[in-house]
Amino acid sequence: MISVGMLIIFGAPVVLGGYALSRQDGSFRQGLVRAVEQFVKLVPRMFCALVAAGFVAKLIPSEFISRFLGDEAGVTAIVIGSVAGLLIPSGPVVAFSIAATFAKAGAANAALIAFITAWTLFAVHRVVIFEIPLLGFSFLRLRLLSVILLPFLAGLMTMGVKQALAWVAVS
Amino acid sequence: MTSETKRQWLMALVRDGFGKSFWWFFAFALGMGVVCYQLLGPQAFHEAVRADLGLLADMLPRVIAALTVAGMVWVLLPRDRMSRLIGKESGFRGLVIATAAGIITPGGPASAYPLLAVIGGAGADRGALVAYITSWAILGIQRILIWDVPLMGVEFSLTRFLISLPLPILAGLIARRLPLSLSLMEEVQPDPVGSISRPAANTETHRK
Repeated sequence: MISVGMLIIFGAPVVLGGYALSRQDGSFRQGLVRAVEQFVKLVPRMFCALVAAGFVAKLIPSEFISRFLGDEAGVTAIVIGSVAGLLIPSGPVVAFSIAATFAKAGAANAALIAFITAWTLFAVHRVVIFEIPLLGFSFLRLRLLSVILLPFLAGLMTMGVKQALAWVAVS
Repeated sequence: MTSETKRQWLMALVRDGFGKSFWWFFAFALGMGVVCYQLLGPQAFHEAVRADLGLLADMLPRVIAALTVAGMVWVLLPRDRMSRLIGKESGFRGLVIATAAGIITPGGPASAYPLLAVIGGAGADRGALVAYITSWAILGIQRILIWDVPLMGVEFSLTRFLISLPLPILAGLIARRLPLSLSLMEEVQPDPVGSISRPAANTETHRK
């Protein structure tokens, strides 16, 4: 699956670039100019953000947090999971290994889903590296206010489904 | 492009890349490094730096590829047709289309965000923009296959996917109702960098 993804990622620019070139109307050059502009905008910030994220990930006490994520903690676990997801300023490697740590420590599915949803939505590194330079603060504000409740909602729905299933099994 | 405008373009590029916010990033990275060194010792510090550099080397080729795609899409995209699909008048269907597009967009943020900027510039409606990026974030099929399934298991991944399926549409509906002004980067900064590539792109839209 990784190789297919890689094929798409590196095949697409070749195909699109070839098509743009074949139109012979300067499209290719315009596309490249735009790509270079965005590259310069992104990469220096990306470098700093990545380094910072690496340090922050080391500083997060994931074993400590996982103690509060069990089934018996109920809605509290969902809240803690969401907030923990907010705080992970790093890519999927760190986020998912933390999620796996939580799971091993006995975290409830609802809390895990809240955690992963919060991380995917708010991942700070992604916001500072890509969202602010490419779309700006007004979009960030709109998006954050639109999605702020989704991690809790996802967690609550997971809990609801689980209880419904348990209820069906009993009766 | 004359050599004078080219020089201006390069200057603007450097200003863009190393502007004020870059130095904030830089200071933050430095600060976190000091905290990490003080609290966890030199070994953890070195480990973190090595992992970061590896990650960066891993990401750079993908960023270059993704930005090339976004640049080409930006030039080639038939914008009028796009805005009919996910524009202001696209209604609920536009949100569904945006959600589906987010699910199948391959690659990490390096591909999704430049594409988001492209469709934003093409006149997509705010609800569709939020639905697209939300969908890519929580439902993106590539991340689920590479990360969710191996690390969390199939059953968990499937549960998460099904539970989260309506969420991007919900986010899009909320975004449409929020009374906030939205000005995208493209419109905010009519800088010399943009003005070189924009007029040409406009003629391209007229040509269609």
